Amino acid sequence: MPNVSRILKIGAIVLLAVAVLAFPGVAPNPYILSAGVLVLNYAVLSTSWNFVGGFTGYISLGHGALAGLGAYGTGLLVAKGGLPPFLALFLSAAIVAALAVPIGFAALRVRGASFVIVSISLVLILLLVFQSWASVTGGSRGLVVPRPFDLSRPEHHRVFYYLFAALLAAALVAWWLIDRSRFGLGLKSIREDEDKAEALGTATFTYKLIVFVVSAAFTALAGGMYALWFGDLDPVFQFSILTGSYLVLMALLGGVRQLFGPVAGAIIVGVALEYFKVEYGDTPLHLVATGLLLALVVLFMPDGILPAVGDLLKRFDRSQRSSIREVSAAELREQRLKEQAGTETGGKGTGDDGTGRTAMTEAGGTTR
Amino acid sequence: MTGTLATTGLRKAFGGVTALDGATVNFQPGKVNALIGPNGSGKTTYFNCVTGMIKPDSGTVTYAGRDITGKAPHSIARHGLGRTFQLCRTFPRMTALENVLAAVPPGGLLGGLRGAKRRSEIERAMGWLTRLGIEHLAGNEARDMSWGQQKLLELAGVLMSEPDTVLLDEPAGGVNPALLDRIGLLVRELNAEGRTFVIVEHNMDLVMSISDHIVVFDRGRPIAEGPPSVIRTDEKVLGAYLGV
Amino acid sequence: MPSGALLFQSVILGLLLGGLYALLASGLTLYFGIMRVVMIAHSAFLILAAYLAWYLHESVGLDPLLSMIGTVPLFFAAGVGLQRALLTRLRPATLTMMSVLLTFAIALLIEGLLGYAFTGTQRRINLGYSSAGLELFGARIAVVKLIAFGLAAVALTTLYLLLKRTKFGWALRATIQHRDAARLLGIDTDRVAGFGFGIGLATAAIGGTALSLDTTIYPSLHWHWIGPLMAIIVVGGLGSVPGAAIAAMILGLAQSLLQIPLGTTWAQTVFYVALFATLAFRPQGFFGGRLAQRF
Repeated sequence: MPNVSRILKIGAIVLLAVAVLAFPGVAPNPYILSAGVLVLNYAVLSTSWNFVGGFTGYISLGHGALAGLGAYGTGLLVAKGGLPPFLALFLSAAIVAALAVPIGFAALRVRGASFVIVSISLVLILLLVFQSWASVTGGSRGLVVPRPFDLSRPEHHRVFYYLFAALLAAALVAWWLIDRSRFGLGLKSIREDEDKAEALGTATFTYKLIVFVVSAAFTALAGGMYALWFGDLDPVFQFSILTGSYLVLMALLGGVRQLFGPVAGAIIVGVALEYFKVEYGDTPLHLVATGLLLALVVLFMPDGILPAVGDLLKRFDRSQRSSIREVSAAELREQRLKEQAGTETGGKGTGDDGTGRTAMTEAGGTTR
Repeated sequence: MTGTLATTGLRKAFGGVTALDGATVNFQPGKVNALIGPNGSGKTTYFNCVTGMIKPDSGTVTYAGRDITGKAPHSIARHGLGRTFQLCRTFPRMTALENVLAAVPPGGLLGGLRGAKRRSEIERAMGWLTRLGIEHLAGNEARDMSWGQQKLLELAGVLMSEPDTVLLDEPAGGVNPALLDRIGLLVRELNAEGRTFVIVEHNMDLVMSISDHIVVFDRGRPIAEGPPSVIRTDEKVLGAYLGV
Repeated sequence: MPSGALLFQSVILGLLLGGLYALLASGLTLYFGIMRVVMIAHSAFLILAAYLAWYLHESVGLDPLLSMIGTVPLFFAAGVGLQRALLTRLRPATLTMMSVLLTFAIALLIEGLLGYAFTGTQRRINLGYSSAGLELFGARIAVVKLIAFGLAAVALTTLYLLLKRTKFGWALRATIQHRDAARLLGIDTDRVAGFGFGIGLATAAIGGTALSLDTTIYPSLHWHWIGPLMAIIVVGGLGSVPGAAIAAMILGLAQSLLQIPLGTTWAQTVFYVALFATLAFRPQGFFGGRLAQRF
């Protein structure tokens, strides 16, 4: 059966991929290219964040700390351990993933509030430790990470741009795989109603812990890659509470239920951040802007902009369906044929998760 | 074959309030059991202790001869004890079909990575939705369904998890008479297929018409049990209800 | 081994600090009890109050203690407004998570605006009695610290009496323990919740004034407070005011004593160690807190 919307969707993804890959070719100067690297870094980080935030609904404000750990782990393994850079990167991610087990154990055994408290505390305590433990971490003097390649500055940016793009692709594939799996359905049921999920036989604590560790590993990879790219680490920036809030803002703004939501958010917020820095320099006003935007998103657009755009598109194309609902809709039609149950239209597939509100309400309205 | 659900000396206090006061009960396997009693007699606390949602202070819960006291709710569910909630609970922003599919056990770490929407499971899930008469809503999100539809959906999810024993917490709460009849009929049918039921319910008509065995709770412990005909005339039961 | 006088001084300072922690943590506990909200902006309001005290002292020479006449009612109103106008807009199903983000956003806003208005420069009030001290068995205790503790103690006692002895306190406790039941009893729980938030923020106003007396303040200081405060309410058992107060005193004392061998920075980690240990081994907290098991 030819499926226009599916082709459209794949076309959009291909187009996006081409645009991302072509960017270094059209970037007018190394600064713009480095801004592109930064935005991609944010995209990987917020997609990694979304493994926890999107699937389980647990909001972590501490993912900045996990990225910082990944960065320092990589940096220390290279600078002090003398390991090859990319071995150090993966080893560091593995260490952070291992650390995520006890952290997750403390944070996830009980419900949301404790998780938030632990996530913020993680940033605060790691900042303390990395600033104070100067003999190992370099303290506030910073840690210089040797560059992995002997390249000119623009070339260095270009290489890392593609490395970050590859990491982003890996994170997106992993998210997509979980999204369509039974494990993913279990996680989403936790997001919807944790007690209910548990009563239906879902091992909620284990589920949350596994996805937290996966999320931590990707976050640490992004952090480590940043260390290799940027080459200079300072605890104040690596363990800044702001990093975590940027990630949340990006994911939320884009839409946590969408595969590409965090990427979209990262592009918007990342570009805005860079623009802000260039226009206004380092003023406390970026705190105000971040806070204001975060508050507005939480209050008025908790589902993000991708669903909003999706809704808009749907007005033009009523037949558009996500692959997820297609199955149920097709299945439904089959069922209906079997029973010859008449012509009623309830259950007609609607768009991406959480976006087909209007269409669905209509369908619900006709049924009873 | 379905096992026997039994508790011995189950005790639970919240602060100074004793909700369960040494509840020793044997439910009859393969039958429709009802658990009745005045408000605050500990029925829901009892359910919560049995299904692991709260841990009893003392006492034991056994199912099919196995001690399941204090186990995690999901593990108890995997032992074959399914339950619904007093105020019906579904996953609001998931479709009806996904609601039912969420009850499929993942089958280990690798099994969890398999697609959630395999053909065989969709067929099974649609089978339950059809049986409960809500298959036309399969693609609708639960939050867009009516109260009654959600109650049926919750039951479909529980049945999907293949329980031998189904615990229903106030299945008649807030549903119209027509639906009530249907639920009653359904319980009898599902029971005839070999499932044990334990039902907490206030609607005496429903209780009397569908149960084989009734346990009456008062102040956190059973005060009487027997078939409907006996319970109907038991003086202790009348006393408990009338507050004598 | 530190000398007896040093040890004694640390104990005194720890208890004084613990008093301030107790007052602030009780505010945080109130919010959580009422709405299951982890109010990240609590300490930002604390610093805001300290800044207001400092500013009034700098510009018109007002004694910081007098600034409370303005800040306490102002913060009370802000708390009521925050609860009624913003938090009630959030969907109940995601309230805990979204309220964290919202209050986090407010904290960023306050920090940013403070930085914009007063720059990031460190500020400190110089009072006539700033350097005055009290000798006690060889320990030297600054008078301002005693005043700060006195403020906290009076405020905490008032709060306790308010909760235990007044009709409003009864309604507030009923709302915390069982909102639906409270509503059935004819309590206007929305109103009570709003006032509860107002009282919570009023504690921040008092705490901020106390803080301004003897502490150097800067806009991002609130992060150094919210961490310990969150740790305290978890250790004390989420939702339990007495639990929070006990945990505050113990951890304040521990911090003060650990400063002798470890120095100020490492001593601060005691809060986080206690937080992780509590969540890992006794998530319901150590001093009551019925709510904690489920959050």
